[in-house]
Amino acid sequence: MSEADLARVLAQVRAGDPAAWGEIYRRYAQAIYRFCRRVLPAREDAEDATSEIFMKVQRKLGTYDSSRPFLAWLYKVASNHCWDTLRRRHIRQDRETGDLEKLPLEHPGPSQLDWMEAEHAGKEVRAALARLPDRARMALVLRYFAEMSYEEIAETLGVRRQFVGVLLLRARHQLRDALGPGGAHAISTGRRA
Amino acid sequence: MSSANDHFDEVTGLLYLEGQLDAGHAREAGTHLASCETCSRLLHALGKESVWLREALVAQDEPVPARLAAPPERAATQWGWMAAFGLAAVGAYTLWTGYVQPGIAQAEQAGFTQRNLLTMLFFSGAFWKGWDAMRSSMEFLAAVTLGLVAIWLLRKQWRHFVAIAAVMAALALALALPAPAGAAEVKHGNPNYTLAAGQEIKTDLIVAATRTHIDGDVDGDLIVFSSSVTVNGHVKGDILGFAQELIVNGPVDGNLRTFSQSLAINRAVGKNVLSWAQQFDLDAKATVGGSVNLFAQNADFDGQVGGDLMAFAQVLDLNGSIGGNAQVRGQRLVIGSQAEIKGTTQYHGRQQPEVSPGAKLGSPIEVTMVRRGPNYTRFRYYLHRILAWGASFLFGLVLLLIAPALYSDVVARCNRPLPAIGLGILLLVGLPAVAFLACITIVGLGLGIASFLLYLVALYSTQVFVGSWLGEKLLGAGQGIGPAMARLALGLAVLRVLSMLPFVGPLADFVILLWGLGALALVFYKTMRAAASTSAATAAA
Ligand SMILES: [Zn+2]
Repeated sequence: MSEADLARVLAQVRAGDPAAWGEIYRRYAQAIYRFCRRVLPAREDAEDATSEIFMKVQRKLGTYDSSRPFLAWLYKVASNHCWDTLRRRHIRQDRETGDLEKLPLEHPGPSQLDWMEAEHAGKEVRAALARLPDRARMALVLRYFAEMSYEEIAETLGVRRQFVGVLLLRARHQLRDALGPGGAHAISTGRRA
Repeated sequence: MSSANDHFDEVTGLLYLEGQLDAGHAREAGTHLASCETCSRLLHALGKESVWLREALVAQDEPVPARLAAPPERAATQWGWMAAFGLAAVGAYTLWTGYVQPGIAQAEQAGFTQRNLLTMLFFSGAFWKGWDAMRSSMEFLAAVTLGLVAIWLLRKQWRHFVAIAAVMAALALALALPAPAGAAEVKHGNPNYTLAAGQEIKTDLIVAATRTHIDGDVDGDLIVFSSSVTVNGHVKGDILGFAQELIVNGPVDGNLRTFSQSLAINRAVGKNVLSWAQQFDLDAKATVGGSVNLFAQNADFDGQVGGDLMAFAQVLDLNGSIGGNAQVRGQRLVIGSQAEIKGTTQYHGRQQPEVSPGAKLGSPIEVTMVRRGPNYTRFRYYLHRILAWGASFLFGLVLLLIAPALYSDVVARCNRPLPAIGLGILLLVGLPAVAFLACITIVGLGLGIASFLLYLVALYSTQVFVGSWLGEKLLGAGQGIGPAMARLALGLAVLRVLSMLPFVGPLADFVILLWGLGALALVFYKTMRAAASTSAATAAA
């Protein structure tokens, strides 16, 4: 769908055309579903969230600024929705900000660097990701799936812009721990007691 | 940050890789990279990591479920929910008009203002048998629990503490009994307290002591917390007493309100008597000007009462006279030959009352035999169950909306029933003791009553948590408020049906109570620990 086509279809949606809305849905449902699936570990949760997000999108379409990519806007709506969902479950994880700076200063060792450069099966990476703390998982998905800017990530997760790099790096460390041997222990220490 | 021989750290590497460094730093890092093997290697590894991470994330590993093939419909009017809301509202209304309002009216008739009603609630809840045997272990438990609560409060961020303190203070203020400050004398026994004969206290007197003897006179109210209390002097106001043993030998011009293991009244009480006691004795020489409200295991009632008698007693032995009506609920009622009841006599009980031929009754006694267990054939019984379900659903919904995090945490904690039930047993007896001791010792009556009311709320909420947990087991853990409400509604309905079963029902109710209470406590414990470790970390930083 070209940009002009998209603008035309969106205008039809705003005018209340159900067929146009169906077209938008068919085009983007898969991306949003996959986004939810990455962020919310349970499959049913991801399905529910996808429906809820599209209902929200339908209501909020008027606020979409057509100078930005539509998909990026969708991801923004989706990430706010999913983050709210996660936060509602574990509200106190917000206090993690304090230990964001606990990162090793030295570079990873040679074997770790080799490991980082090696190939990793997607299935295992996704399984490890599902075991990460909510904020860490969310940060990785926002950056490397939704390709959000640091500013957008900071806004979504409610942290300062300067923390986003630290947040991402710490999430990578946790992911390395989760994927590596005996990783499960290392994660639990990163998580709220 | 990065001179020629100073490697940059991993964060800087990542920021450089992702183009997030400002121009100056980026140039600096670029220069360093050109000459540094180590940092180039790190950057390469981070880059590779980004690649496989992206691949894993964007992979089309599973198709979109069929359920999502079409756009979601806008939610139609949900008749089920509207019906549930209606029922919940009716349930709340019925509870209010059927129980709360008559209760208040009855209490007001018996000389209680609304303010004192809270005291009454506290008394009735705190009534348990044989607390003397458990006293030492409870005191220990109380000290530990209060200590933990204090630590929790103090460890929290200051403004939270201030907020909590403000709320608590407001509650305490609102609930405060006759304000102890100012016009009252406060005495602490050492360990005993005696007001000698001939002495007179011109104001209210508040006493906390092991043994208390009031041989002199008190012009105002007497408020006493003591293991044993003997009042020989003249009290011109009310007596409010918490005691193991309470003996009133002197005249009381006002009301007598007591919570004690035993109460003996041997002289005149000018107004009303309200007593929660295991053993209640109204001597043949004793008189009560107003009415008597009695909750007792054993009651020997030989004196004269000007007003009505309302008694919940396991065994009531009535040999005195009652100027008004008598309303008695219990297991056994014995009306002796000296007894006289001028008004009507109503009795609800399991056994036929034994009425001596010599007894003088103003009208024939109305007896309602109470069947063991509920009457399953009556429609009202089922209607009441449904309304009770509606009320608990409404309560759960409010809880879900105002404290969603707490709610889901507690429901999650229900997953391990055994530790929760164990803890629940401990707390079921421990918490009222703590509240009671808080009244006497540290924080004062208002706060003690406030915590007791919170405890009652917590007890009521246990069914909500266990019900939600059960609903989740039955319906799965769907996201959002709708499924949460469905889980709550279904779970509560199942619990309600369960509690209707003969024999199993009461046991199930009890287990649910312990289970939910334990889960709630585990969450509070976890919160405390998290708060403690957060503030410890803040302090260390
Ligand atoms: Zn270097």
